Amino acid sequence: MFDGLIAFWHSLSTFLTPTTIFYVLASSLVGVIIGALPGLTATMGVALMTTLTIKMPSDVALLILICTYVGAIYGGSRSAILLNIPGTPASAAACLDGYALARQGLAGRAMGIATTGSVLGTLIGMFFLAWFTPVLGDLALKFGAYEFFWLAVFGVIVSATLTGGDALKGWIAGFAGLFIATIGQDGIHAYERFSFGIRDLAGGFSLVPALVGAFGFAEILVAMHEKRPPVKISALDSVIPRLKDVWQYRRTVFRSGVIGTFIGIVPGVGEDVAAWSSYAAAKRSSKEKAQFGKGSVEGLMAAETGDNACVPGAMIPVLTLQVPGSAPAAVLMAAMLIHGVKPGPMIMIESPQFVYDVVAMMLLATLGILLYGLTLTGFLIQVLRVPTTIITPMLFVLCTVGTYALASRLFDVWTMLGFGLLGFVLRLYRFPVAPLVLGIVLGDLMEKSLRRGLVLSDGSLLPFVTRPISLVLVAIIVAVVALRFQAVQRLLRIGPKAGA
Amino acid sequence: MSIESTPADASPPRADLVAAVLWMVFGAAITVGAWTMDRLEHRHINPYEIPGLVPGVLGAVILLLGLALAVRAVARGAMGGARTEAAGPAAVGPEGAAEARRRMAQVLAATLVYALVLVGHGVPFWLATLVFVAGFIWHFDGERQRELGRGPGARGWRALVFGAATSATVTLVFEQIFLVRLP
Repeated sequence: MFDGLIAFWHSLSTFLTPTTIFYVLASSLVGVIIGALPGLTATMGVALMTTLTIKMPSDVALLILICTYVGAIYGGSRSAILLNIPGTPASAAACLDGYALARQGLAGRAMGIATTGSVLGTLIGMFFLAWFTPVLGDLALKFGAYEFFWLAVFGVIVSATLTGGDALKGWIAGFAGLFIATIGQDGIHAYERFSFGIRDLAGGFSLVPALVGAFGFAEILVAMHEKRPPVKISALDSVIPRLKDVWQYRRTVFRSGVIGTFIGIVPGVGEDVAAWSSYAAAKRSSKEKAQFGKGSVEGLMAAETGDNACVPGAMIPVLTLQVPGSAPAAVLMAAMLIHGVKPGPMIMIESPQFVYDVVAMMLLATLGILLYGLTLTGFLIQVLRVPTTIITPMLFVLCTVGTYALASRLFDVWTMLGFGLLGFVLRLYRFPVAPLVLGIVLGDLMEKSLRRGLVLSDGSLLPFVTRPISLVLVAIIVAVVALRFQAVQRLLRIGPKAGA
Repeated sequence: MSIESTPADASPPRADLVAAVLWMVFGAAITVGAWTMDRLEHRHINPYEIPGLVPGVLGAVILLLGLALAVRAVARGAMGGARTEAAGPAAVGPEGAAEARRRMAQVLAATLVYALVLVGHGVPFWLATLVFVAGFIWHFDGERQRELGRGPGARGWRALVFGAATSATVTLVFEQIFLVRLP
């Protein structure tokens, strides 16, 4: 306990320099702005910032990325409350009550509640990050090739199923992502696969350009496709949070924080599910159920606490299993690998201090969003008024030059363009993009684990389903898949009626 | 037995059928490519380590999932008179859809010309960026500017200022701070 506190204090003290504080303030602001702008997501923000921070020392670069991530998830609530448009998918739940409060002339109060919920959510998640990472790290040491294979499949299946949308399309996208990861030299015998003699493709697609394309360029195209009308924002009341709100809904805050954190731990699920789950749990146990959707302070508090608690939660599997808990966490994981930080089961043995570095980074990011939540309302309203047609070319320049800066290769720019077009077409046909990206991230782990497992068992599939952890993972995967079938839903009487 | 999707996620069944056929072709191509891949027998490797094993399995899974999507699309009336187009912006009529398609073609042309032609092929980066940003804003922000009562001159100056500012900032930040050799 005290060792953890001492390690945390040591990490925090190393970040308390004027330069680092400047980076915290600047990157949190960038995150809040990206999150507030409809159509630009936290994943895009973190991916773009990864390319911009590539030459920086690893601790500074990761601090900037975490501040951007936390800031973007928080920033999404601004446009949800003021415009009824979620700045990021994570803020969709905040639209329901946030915008209803704004229409009652209480936009300032709603933003105060969102700030409080976000700050408390991140703090709760941060506590679990510090407490749970060593525990899960110990468990991760028991993982072998069989377990890692199922964990990768679990991540893709669960991400495709729980992130909303059409599960079948999500599974297709996820398996396509796993396939994309196999392009280029295979990790065991360096045999070139599906590279068609293209020299640049021999090493496969680089992860960051693919992510910048799928979440950056594709989102630019979607934003231009949708052509949003000009923004109209009414006057604001005070944005200072009320302690009375926090105290009155303290149980909701704690419950939402716990739900958000644990949904963050589930590979590939992410902040939007955390927000909706926290919102649903708060509604079920509330004494003011009728108020939900009509301007419920409790509902908004639950949604914002849940999605921000998910951010530290999503870092737990990144650090212990090298499996991302959400799409932005996948980019963060890629950035860690680029900077030479190797998360995974050995982290608590090889570099335990890094876990507390991440906790300290979360705390600094939380302070950043608290500061901006209290002071930057007027500025953010001006930012929301900037039309898409002016922002998008600037973002595209950053997507292009950022991906080029990674390795000074034009091939990375082409990769970004290709994945951007793929992401755009998939969105048009209502295929979710997050499972595709998670598939690309987890593909290498899945393949190596399957082949190693088969070699160890001399071709027998039994160890894949008889070892205890594998068995649990298989059971969850089967249950998650089966529950999407209408016949199973009817049998359990939980799904839509026949014909839905 | 079918796999549930909520009405909000649903795209036209015919569009799903088209997508399903493409996925099936993709999955089949991967499977064939993996099956015919060198099995490195001359290296005497373990048969469970052959390079085509995992892509082959993934190709087969994509093929099967594509087939499931096709069956579901047909069950939902894809072979009837349902629309083929993918989902677009909500609540737009045929004219709106045509305008969206035209705008997307222009956006794609502008972005691809910048990234594939202007950048890295002899044009200085700062100039390529200035031309792209100014041209993009002048063209796509024009309608809004006209509604605000601004003439072509004012629109042009405005676009040029945004283009020059973006070009100068990005060039300086990447070259002087991040020490990146720009394309």
